[in-house]
Amino acid sequence: MTREEAEAILQRTFELPKFYDEQWLTIDKILKGEKVLLIEKTGFGKSLCFQFPATVFNGVTVIFSPLIALMRDQVKKLKALGIAAECINSEQTSEENTQIINDAKQGKIKILYIAPERQENSEWIEATRQMNLSMVVVDEAHCISVWGHDFRPAFKRIINLVKLLPKGLPVLATTATATKRVELDLAQQIGDNIVTVRGNLMRDNFKLFVVKVSSEDEKLIWVGKNVNSLPGSGILYTGTRIDTEIYSKWFENLKISSVAYSAGLDADSRIDIENGLMANKWKCIISTNALGMGIDKPDIRFIIHTQIPQSPIHYYQEIGRAGRDGQPCYLILFYNPKDRKLPEAFIEGGRPSITKYEKVITTIKSELLGERDLMKRTNLKQNQIRVIKADLIEQGIIREVIIGRSKMYEFIPNSQLLNTKAFEELRNAKLSDLESMIAYVETDGSRMKFLCDYLGDNSNHTFTNCDNTGEKKISVNVTPEWTEKLQNFREEYFPKLEVESKDSRIVNGVAASYYGFSNVGAALHRSKYEQGGDFPDFLLKLVLKAFRKNFGQEKFDLVVYVPPTSSGDLVKNFAVKVSQVLEFPISHNLTKSRVTKEQKVFENRFLKSDNVSGAFTFTTPNDINGKSILLIDDIFDSGATMKEIGRMLTNFGAIKIAPIVIARTVGGDIV
Amino acid sequence: MYNLKKEEATYWIALAHLPRWGHLKINNLIIKFYHENKISIEEFFQLDENEWKNQYQLDEKQVVDLQQAKSELASNAFLAESFFSQGFEIIPITSPEYSKTLKGNLKTAHAPAVLYVKGKKELLEEKSIAIVGSRDASETALRFTDNIAKLAGKEFKVVVSGFAKGVDKQALDSAINYKGQSVIVLPQGIMTFGSGFQNYYKQIIDGDVLVLSTFFPKAPWKAELAMARNPIIYGLADEIYVAESAEKGGTWSGVVDGLRKGRKIYVRKPESDEKNANNILIQKGALPVDFNGIELHENFSATNTDHTSIDPEATDNESLDTIIRASLNERPLSAKELLVKLNFSWSTQKLNSYLKQLDFVEVVKEKNINLYKLKGATETTQTTLFV
Repeated sequence: MTREEAEAILQRTFELPKFYDEQWLTIDKILKGEKVLLIEKTGFGKSLCFQFPATVFNGVTVIFSPLIALMRDQVKKLKALGIAAECINSEQTSEENTQIINDAKQGKIKILYIAPERQENSEWIEATRQMNLSMVVVDEAHCISVWGHDFRPAFKRIINLVKLLPKGLPVLATTATATKRVELDLAQQIGDNIVTVRGNLMRDNFKLFVVKVSSEDEKLIWVGKNVNSLPGSGILYTGTRIDTEIYSKWFENLKISSVAYSAGLDADSRIDIENGLMANKWKCIISTNALGMGIDKPDIRFIIHTQIPQSPIHYYQEIGRAGRDGQPCYLILFYNPKDRKLPEAFIEGGRPSITKYEKVITTIKSELLGERDLMKRTNLKQNQIRVIKADLIEQGIIREVIIGRSKMYEFIPNSQLLNTKAFEELRNAKLSDLESMIAYVETDGSRMKFLCDYLGDNSNHTFTNCDNTGEKKISVNVTPEWTEKLQNFREEYFPKLEVESKDSRIVNGVAASYYGFSNVGAALHRSKYEQGGDFPDFLLKLVLKAFRKNFGQEKFDLVVYVPPTSSGDLVKNFAVKVSQVLEFPISHNLTKSRVTKEQKVFENRFLKSDNVSGAFTFTTPNDINGKSILLIDDIFDSGATMKEIGRMLTNFGAIKIAPIVIARTVGGDIV
Repeated sequence: MYNLKKEEATYWIALAHLPRWGHLKINNLIIKFYHENKISIEEFFQLDENEWKNQYQLDEKQVVDLQQAKSELASNAFLAESFFSQGFEIIPITSPEYSKTLKGNLKTAHAPAVLYVKGKKELLEEKSIAIVGSRDASETALRFTDNIAKLAGKEFKVVVSGFAKGVDKQALDSAINYKGQSVIVLPQGIMTFGSGFQNYYKQIIDGDVLVLSTFFPKAPWKAELAMARNPIIYGLADEIYVAESAEKGGTWSGVVDGLRKGRKIYVRKPESDEKNANNILIQKGALPVDFNGIELHENFSATNTDHTSIDPEATDNESLDTIIRASLNERPLSAKELLVKLNFSWSTQKLNSYLKQLDFVEVVKEKNINLYKLKGATETTQTTLFV
């Protein structure tokens, strides 16, 4: 097919006038059955390089993509053009997915988006046998490389799949963010004479700013004061989910239109937020960077980072979502020298200790186990188990197998010993990336050029689009008025305890504070572990305030408290005081029916839940029937204890159980 | 000689399961492209239709089948990726890892083009015995099985069994119990053996058990597959022991098939009050053995030869032809030699005239003797594939 012929089709099908040269270069190779690695910036039009050939080919084109939001978005656009596109993902019902698979088997679908994890699903494997496959696309191909910013183990299998494809079947791998090292790694892994097409990554509509601060307060105050005067709508990225919550409550307090988006949300809420973002429903979306917001929104006008990312490539990837329409956009990065601790902790703590690896290997050697049983046998956190599993699979020490419908892990006989050198090498590479990120902050040269150089895109262009090259520098002006606003906010802000479930009358409760924040954690620790006596009165005041904020003037029939494992009467005495002030009667009849261990010795929710399962009873069940109950404890961690007691009290006829605690831990199972 | 390149897996899967081709046609094709023309399977699939027709004498239907198989290669890749990632392996007949015992016993006519395995492949190189018998075998038969498995373990012989109830399961459990080694031959695709891999996890990773299947990896259990698996069990074993057989069913037809192929098969000599068909098999030519697997010679040698001879008239032409084809696999034979090999109750003259009307056989003269050989086959290719 000649370019003219192709462009005639392009006009009819996609309503676009013509291809860019680099697009046609790629498409021409794809049409000839070649394998291509395409590195182009966000907004270049990479998708067209596979969508166009897909509409020309006879069979179905399968696109592996890690971003559900992006898949949904592209499918919607293709459908609007009358192109048969669908996606299969874990957020759709299995009936919907099955229907789509059937349509693909019957040749009714041209473009099929799937997550790489789908390759673990045997229904999908069965189905592919009956599909007429024309092309395979690996979107966000940097996920294949451990040297990239977003390595995903499931992508490893996609590489193996690509290698098994017959000669002459076109393959396209695309990414917007690949350093030279990642580019070479990708090309080498895919192999088979893959051709690399690399465009320039410079974005001259970016306006890049760095704001150096010396406290968290300065960040909160600057964004609180200024976000509404930035043009259009945008994104505020935080370093942790807790920060997402805090910034979101802060904006709520200031009546700034915003919404919090996190990996913890259910699919429906996420879809609502994605749609709202497209419709400019909010000034600002607050999110952690853990969540890839692969949204094809042309007019994101600003992106603020309250925490430095781990590397310039992370940063480039995250700001890449702004200004796809080519219009100016503001990229603002806050930096407090203390902020390097978080990425450092990720890098240093990202890998569990070698003994934990050995523990997992020994356990898997003696037994074929699924993830859950593996967590129970080893008493490791879920995220640690996942890191270890991924590394051991990568090193060829264990493999994932499907037994019936479940995934299990088996030892590979005669495999090599654990290679800890590889971890060291990766850790050092990441630390050096972090240093480069800080160098970006500290540079007095062009920030755009810094990023381009880092990505291996050597440009001689003269840039004038950052606060070092012509744009006015941003500084923070802390006024007493704003300091007071922030102080008031802090005193009014109480973390939520999410414990509601279908089989229980327990409702979401409230904590007076996060454990690690302010002086609350220290006070608890003194009383609990350093013989510091009863919990101090300021904690009582704080808890009462949290109660009023959350439950208002609501009356409860009964106060009960969680019986202790080892810290004596601290909680009992505290609950007595609460009941006296609120004038609700207290009962001491919530007791343990068997001995439990302290929850903190268990690293994961399965063991925590086993530890307390069936461990509580109420000695006078008649006192409970038909009553509303305020349930008190000192620390809320995984919520397993509260949920267990909630179920037990529900069984005894309680009509409402409302938990309230002094502090909620940060972390638990998920970082 | 070469080991499988993973990239070729999809091609082997496509070739091995060509619908209604049968082992002989597939193997003859492999002999042609791999041994005669010395091209890889990948290169063979890249040839165009005319080359398939002209160089390989494939007919229209076969070309259509191959085209269909070729169009499914991409889809096979998805299966193959899942297959490899779960630690399964595929051994094509051209690989040095392919069981030589199996090749030697089944020859071009019956050897499957690929073996799908999981576990210690080296077990295929060990001396091996198969212990077969009914699903509802008697207590005596099971004790015999246990004893033979125990003896096998002592002699470092691998026990081959079929993972059915009764004797099969006993053979496997006893082999494991006596710390011996085992090959499980599945009556289903290897990827459908889920919980089996869980049950024998320890033995598999310790290298004491190899699981093997010759069927499409995702094929579910079927009675036909269970039947088709029996020759594989016999083929993988150097020695075959029958614990107990009824006068019909899988064991029976398996043993009869084995005898027809000229295998030595040991059958447990039953007690006089046992109700089974062991004695009938012995009359048909199987060798009686005692509880320890020791051959019992008295009284049987006379009847042996009588009964092992096959009455060709009672056999249908197709299977007759298959047997002849297999016998001519290694080298050209005279009618007399062939008769000894086949053990037919025919005269040389009758066999001569039968052979002459077969379209796949041709006559070559050597020192004034008529030798029969397979059309188009040369001796060297045969020896390369089936040493």
